[in-house]
This record gives sequence, C-alpha cells and structure tokens, in this order.
Amino acid sequence: MFNSIRPNSLEELLEIIDNGDYYIFAGGTDLFIRKRQWQGAERKFDKDVVFISHLEELRGIFEDRNYYRLKTCVTQDEVANSTLLPDYLRVPYGLMGNPAIRNTATVGGNIVNAAKVADSLPLFYALDASIVLKNIQVDRVMSIKDFIFGRYKTDRYENEIIYEVIIPKEDFSGFRYKKIGSRKSSILSKLSVFIVYKKAHGKIVDIRVSVGAVNDVPIRSEEGEKEFVKDNDIDKFLLTIREMMEGEDDRRSTKLYREEISLRIIKKFLVEIMEE
Amino acid sequence: MIIGFELNGVQVAIETTLSMRLLDVVRNNFDLTGTKEGCSEGECGACIVFLDGKVVNSCMVPMSNVVGRSVVTIEGFSEMERYKKIETAFRNAGAVQCGFCIPGMIMAVEGILRLNKPLTDEVIKEGLSGNICRCTGYQSIYEAVRRLGEEVWNDVQ
Repeated sequence: MFNSIRPNSLEELLEIIDNGDYYIFAGGTDLFIRKRQWQGAERKFDKDVVFISHLEELRGIFEDRNYYRLKTCVTQDEVANSTLLPDYLRVPYGLMGNPAIRNTATVGGNIVNAAKVADSLPLFYALDASIVLKNIQVDRVMSIKDFIFGRYKTDRYENEIIYEVIIPKEDFSGFRYKKIGSRKSSILSKLSVFIVYKKAHGKIVDIRVSVGAVNDVPIRSEEGEKEFVKDNDIDKFLLTIREMMEGEDDRRSTKLYREEISLRIIKKFLVEIMEE
Repeated sequence: MIIGFELNGVQVAIETTLSMRLLDVVRNNFDLTGTKEGCSEGECGACIVFLDGKVVNSCMVPMSNVVGRSVVTIEGFSEMERYKKIETAFRNAGAVQCGFCIPGMIMAVEGILRLNKPLTDEVIKEGLSGNICRCTGYQSIYEAVRRLGEEVWNDVQ
C-alpha cells in the first residue's frame, strides 16, 4: 500500500519531501512504465508518491540578460515550440519521443532520471547548463555535469527537487544534432551527437561537442575542444573522444557500432563547420 | 478521493485515486471504450486523448494530472464537425483494417490539423510518429491525411 499526495504549493511539496522518501512524479513517461501492471490494474508503487506537474511555481520558460531558465515541469513540447528559446535547444527537443510524449514528458524528469539514453543531457553538457535544487531550507546550484555521476545516479538528496535549469546565453553561429535509433521517433537513442560552435572571420573560436548514449553519461572533452580550436586537427580530436568511450554491447546496439558511428558523425559535422 | 474534471464537455466527478491512469478511468468508470490500451508505455498511440486540447497518451497520465482539466476522448471528438471529415478521408482511402489503432490515429490526425501547418509529408509523418498500425502498412493512412490536408487547406484559402 502506498499513499499518493498532491501538494497545493511548492512550499507544501518541500515540507512533504522533507519528512520522508517519496517518488516524485512529474510527467510520468518514465515512472509509469517502470511500474507497469496488467491492463486495468492500478500501478503499484513501493513507496509513497508525490505529484508535482500541476504546480504553477514549477512551470514556465523565462530569460534574463545572461540565462534561459526552464522550470522543472516545463514539457518537451513547450521547449520545442518556445518563441523564447534558440533553435539549438528547440530542434533537438522537437525530435525527442513523439508528439504525445512531448506533451507530458518534462525537462526536469529527463535530467533527474539520469538514464544513459536521456536525450537532453548531451545538450546540457555542451551548453554548460546548471540546475537549481531546492529543499525546504536552502537552494543549491550545480552544473548538470556534476549533478549526474552515473547511470541513474545523481547528487539529489531525498528532500530536494530540481527547481529549474539554467542555460547560459551564448551567441553561437550554429549547431548540429544527430540522433541515431532503430527508427526516427518514439525510440531510445543508440547514440546522439550535439555540437554548438562560434566562428569569427571564418575561424572556429569556440566549439562544444557532446556524445550521448555511448557511455553511462554524456562524453565531452573541454580540453580536446580547446586544442581543436587552436589546431583544427580533426583526427586528433576524434582520437581524444575515442579514448573516452567506454560503452558496452546492449540490446539496442553494439559498442563498436556506437563508437564508430559517433566518430563518423562528429567528423562529418566538423568538416562541414570548418568549410562553412 | 473525489476527482473533478471536464469529460467530453461535461463536468464530472468520480471516486478514484491520484495514481489511477486516465486510460483506466475513461474505460472503466465511464465505459468510453473507444480509447484503447495497446502497449501501455506511450509508444503505440492507441490510447490518445486530448488533455486541454493537446494529444497525450492516456496510459501515462495519472489522474492527479487531470484534476480540473479538460479531457476529450474519441467519443467526444466524434461529435465534432472535423471528425466527419477525417472519417470520410479514412474511408475513402481504405485506411481502416482491423480498426484497433484507428481511434488513436484519428486523434493524432486532429493533433496534426491543430498545428495549422501545410500538411507536408514530413508534418504528417511526424504527427503520426507516435501511432502504430499493424495492418495497413501506413500508406493508406498517409494517403487519407494527405487528401484531407488538401481539402482543409482549400477550405482555409
């Protein structure tokens, strides 16, 4: 037996989770699948559940001078169709799941699940995004890269929720995104590659490259990126990324396929960007 | 607990739980069995309903997320003018075989029309990408939506 709770405000939510260990239920696109039962049977949870999607304080997309701010219960569809956000966020979000999933799945949910295949994580790694975690007493801000330390493993304490995602505004010249799955939609990625870059006078002055779904957490080499800006040596950069790959065969793909295809996509994108 | 919401234009209140799925409530509590359960994990689209006007997989929506909101099922949508056009388009294209996926397909088609975009192949395929049909091979369904697109677009112009 478990209890289901629907707090009336953020403050009430924080009080509730300060006094016990709960499933925090937002869109439900992951949690309801994990708790799958026979048709018609109520989903059984092994601990109490607190629902948060209805809380207005956890919704909305905002911007200030330096940052975009996405509240945790913003849906993937709201990101994909935002008039505030740049294409390098909107386009990849528009390729996640399928239309009905995007209408319910949330930004915070995809982060806090910390799945190997979470499609938003490579974006947030490349964009140096942070999150604000809230408990009843304090807020703490940390980079998403530090927050996620393994497959399904994060630095969230039981009495905290992700309140918002903070993405630094940058004047990128362009981006590239490619997701590979066994079909185009409704699919968990075999791999994904995300690149944003800045060019000035025909030269690359900033580039961020991240690879999702190969390792347990996205791959990004800031050192390698800095070297690449200096020497534009694609093969050397690919070698750096290859050395970071530590994936394994699973039911979606083999390690070899993931690694080879990721590197080929990166190479194709880098050549395109340099020639642009 | 008692949960109140709007169902097919009528205010309703039922005794259920916050974690009960919307799919189970419309089928079991209201006997609206046009909404089907296929995969139970948001991949097949057979259970699509409109929640505040947007397509959602009702197999993944807990009743907590329905409190005070508007739900339209295929039964409610079939009362609307546009349903007739979609039904005619499906019939003319021979887009229905066993019929299990069709309520969800029709809801997804309405989801596409609500985008108010020209119905290019890409828009149609993207709009139907969350719906699985094991009979038709999809071509007759695409054809129905393509023809419908021409008709709706002509109406607008």
